[in-house]
Amino acid sequence: MIEQLDQLDDLGAALFRRADEAGAYLIWRAQARSVSRIVVRDGRTEGATASSSIGHGVHVIGASGFAALGSRDDLLPEAALDVLERTVAAADCAGHPGSIPVSVPQLEVTRARCVPREVKEFSAIDLPSIGQRLVELESEIHSRVDGTRLLTSFRAEIDAWRVARSDGAVALFAMPRCSLGARATAVGPKSQHAVSVQVFGTSPRLLTDEAACSLFLRRAEQAARLARELPDAPRHPSGSFPIVIDYALAKGLAHEAFGHAAEADGFRSSVLARDGRFRCGERVGDDRVRVIDEPIERDHAWQPFSANAVPRRRATIVDRGRLHEGLADIWSAESGGVPITGAARAESFRNAPLPRMSNIRIEIDEPRPAPGRFEDYGPSEVRNLLGEAGILDRYPRVAFLSGYTGGQVNPVTGDFVFNCKAIYGIEAGRVTLYRPAIFSGSMFGALAAIREAFGPLQLDALGYCGKWGQSVPSSGGSHYFLFLEPDPTVRLGGD
Amino acid sequence: MRTQRLVDRLDSGIFGGRRIQAWSVFASESRRHSIGAKDRQIGGMHSPEQLSESAGARYLVVWDDGQISRGTLERRQVELDPDAALAAARASAYEDPDSAQVLGPHDYPDVDLHDPGVAAIACGTADLFHSRLADLQQRFDDSDLRTWSASFSASDVDGAVVTSAGLEVHSSGTTCGWHATIDGEIGDGYSARKAECESEFQARVERLLAINRSLRVRTTDLEAGRRLVILHPRVVEAFVLDTLLHHLDGSQVAHGESRFRHEQFGDPSAVLREDISLTLEPLTPMRAGSYRFTSEGVPAARCRFIEGGRLIQPLLDLKYARRLSRAPTPLSNGPDSLRFSGREELSFDDALAEASALVLGVLGVHTQDAASGDFSLAAPQTLTVRGGRLGARCRTTIAGNLFQLLCDPELRFVRFEGETTPGLGVVCRLDPA
Repeated sequence: MIEQLDQLDDLGAALFRRADEAGAYLIWRAQARSVSRIVVRDGRTEGATASSSIGHGVHVIGASGFAALGSRDDLLPEAALDVLERTVAAADCAGHPGSIPVSVPQLEVTRARCVPREVKEFSAIDLPSIGQRLVELESEIHSRVDGTRLLTSFRAEIDAWRVARSDGAVALFAMPRCSLGARATAVGPKSQHAVSVQVFGTSPRLLTDEAACSLFLRRAEQAARLARELPDAPRHPSGSFPIVIDYALAKGLAHEAFGHAAEADGFRSSVLARDGRFRCGERVGDDRVRVIDEPIERDHAWQPFSANAVPRRRATIVDRGRLHEGLADIWSAESGGVPITGAARAESFRNAPLPRMSNIRIEIDEPRPAPGRFEDYGPSEVRNLLGEAGILDRYPRVAFLSGYTGGQVNPVTGDFVFNCKAIYGIEAGRVTLYRPAIFSGSMFGALAAIREAFGPLQLDALGYCGKWGQSVPSSGGSHYFLFLEPDPTVRLGGD
Repeated sequence: MRTQRLVDRLDSGIFGGRRIQAWSVFASESRRHSIGAKDRQIGGMHSPEQLSESAGARYLVVWDDGQISRGTLERRQVELDPDAALAAARASAYEDPDSAQVLGPHDYPDVDLHDPGVAAIACGTADLFHSRLADLQQRFDDSDLRTWSASFSASDVDGAVVTSAGLEVHSSGTTCGWHATIDGEIGDGYSARKAECESEFQARVERLLAINRSLRVRTTDLEAGRRLVILHPRVVEAFVLDTLLHHLDGSQVAHGESRFRHEQFGDPSAVLREDISLTLEPLTPMRAGSYRFTSEGVPAARCRFIEGGRLIQPLLDLKYARRLSRAPTPLSNGPDSLRFSGREELSFDDALAEASALVLGVLGVHTQDAASGDFSLAAPQTLTVRGGRLGARCRTTIAGNLFQLLCDPELRFVRFEGETTPGLGVVCRLDPA
């Protein structure tokens, strides 16, 4: 697969020569992708697929400065040149009222290659053997917790790109991703609930890695127990409460509440911008708070280069409680008043890349200790942490939101929502399980409400982000737990 | 797309020393053209005019040892390199007796799905899109909006199903649509097999602007509690219909993960309120959700899933039809091919006379646990209703259980102008946020 991208020198040269002759600036993106996936239910394989795809996109700025993007799902030279010609023609006709011509910034010209060694292991994926292993894991989970229906799955993907620009920059990179997942569904007399968990790795050997499988089994066991208990749980009352969130929900808060609003393509309307420029220096949280996005090696959302062949770097969105920098690509940085961070990502060669997050986290200076692994902490252990911090002296009852199931934000207004897997009502002598409920509010209220952090950073909360219909991997986290003071703009839904 | 090389290879009946017992291929080829505006700016690098060409196939191979392979093939594999694709397919083969079946010839309905004007746009002619985008820009800029974004797209798709059992059926269809959002929070659009006429386009834009004007006046004066709330058709589609379809899906039923048990289908007792029906109608000409056949070759036809509150039929592909010992069904291809109905539909004005609020949009639908039907959703675009008239905007949350709502005698179906899906009046928990 990587070889296919390596062998595109001649096609690339022909495309850039033709673009140059037409007076067009070209960013050329070739993408090769392979996905293997297997699903097991009730001791047997329910689906197994191995697929691959390849194609390219020509993102053109025509002689008059207007843009167009053409794409085709093969790399045949004649067809590729035809797509380029039609795209250049579309760009030359794209100067309609309301269109603003694009100017190409001066960029460093890099020629780079980044292909992790694990990529070679993907050629040896044996789906039937993986199916057998999933059956074993399913059986192990059942032996630990009965009374639930299980779905286990394994997915291995390589997403490889070759991106080149008219100025001579070229980046070839591959992102290996494997995930092991389980969903437990419990059926009660009146209702049923499903709880999902995942473990991530960059090697297909994830399934034979003892530590990874042990972590997976522990998480799956906890999910199955929770699914079994939820049908009998009551609903949590709605309102503003003192709240503890785990690192996965903190990732949701960072991603939904701050990350999207810090993406520079939205600065013409974002609540974090004024007159199209990032509100650098404005206070949005406590002095101890940072919100940071950066690609982390061997992470689900790692991407070393942008879809415009720019190295991706760390972006400190909030530094010591103040807005610091945005997530910008080469087209949005200057107008947004922020540096280029190489944030452009695209799901496919067909899509126009947009500034996107990678691994985003909330960091708090001087967190309180929480020894051991995150999985060691159930609601009773969280109650102990709150008690030792004196929080239960100030608030007799705290709502602990556990597990992240997704979220959504309106970057124009700063409204966000996300949902959890369960809520625990924590009191000095009691823990009560409640069904999940929406956590919503104002991003400023939520960040300003963070008062305490517990434990080290845990950054492996996985997800997919669907901004503008393009799904790309996202991840992140925070300290094991964050405590938020009650704030009238931040609410739990419920009943 | 040139599928002959792949079909010939499958038809040869032998691959890698194994006999191919049966096979099925669904091949499609499309052209798509789109233009857009992001935050008032038309085109640009983040929303450029786009032209794309794609082709590919889905396949099923049944081998002589009973194993099956299924997956997708890219254009190159279909046209140039079927051997490598078949080798990869064999390497991932697995046992799944319920999947080991392909359809033979059937009678297929003739459904008008193709519009030459849209096909021309899909190939690059964009005058209609440019004029309508300019029109949107003019009207939105005149309306003192904070921001707006929009996209227009057209596609032209040819599809075919070919099987070893002698089935060969083709279809051509176009799709044309647009969507606009105002201030990043309220949107509307259209999708069908042909472009809407100018007057319908203008009327839809006007309705969107009118809703936006209503949302500008804000209040927090809304009493919390159980209230009759009208859910806009977009909310019904994204939440209510999607959840119902999830539970009607044959795989969910077969694995016991649906709220509906297999033995309840065909049973005379109602599981929802006794006037509720959900029917698939995929034969209406030029609807976006209409089609001739599924990717497995099942003919499109009218199909009742729920009638009179009783479960009639789950949605079944070939695999789960066999597993549940039932006939396969046509599948849903979008909300405009579904008819969701009750005993009577109130007019919008009559519904307002009874309601406390109109929920225009919700955040967080994809975060809900579909298994339980429990919902807890943020509804920042809620309009209060006072004395039968729409009032000011209030940020709210709504909560309840969908299945309880669908059994509730207080449930109302509400007609909305220009919509194929009804709104719903439901009694649920409503809290100002």
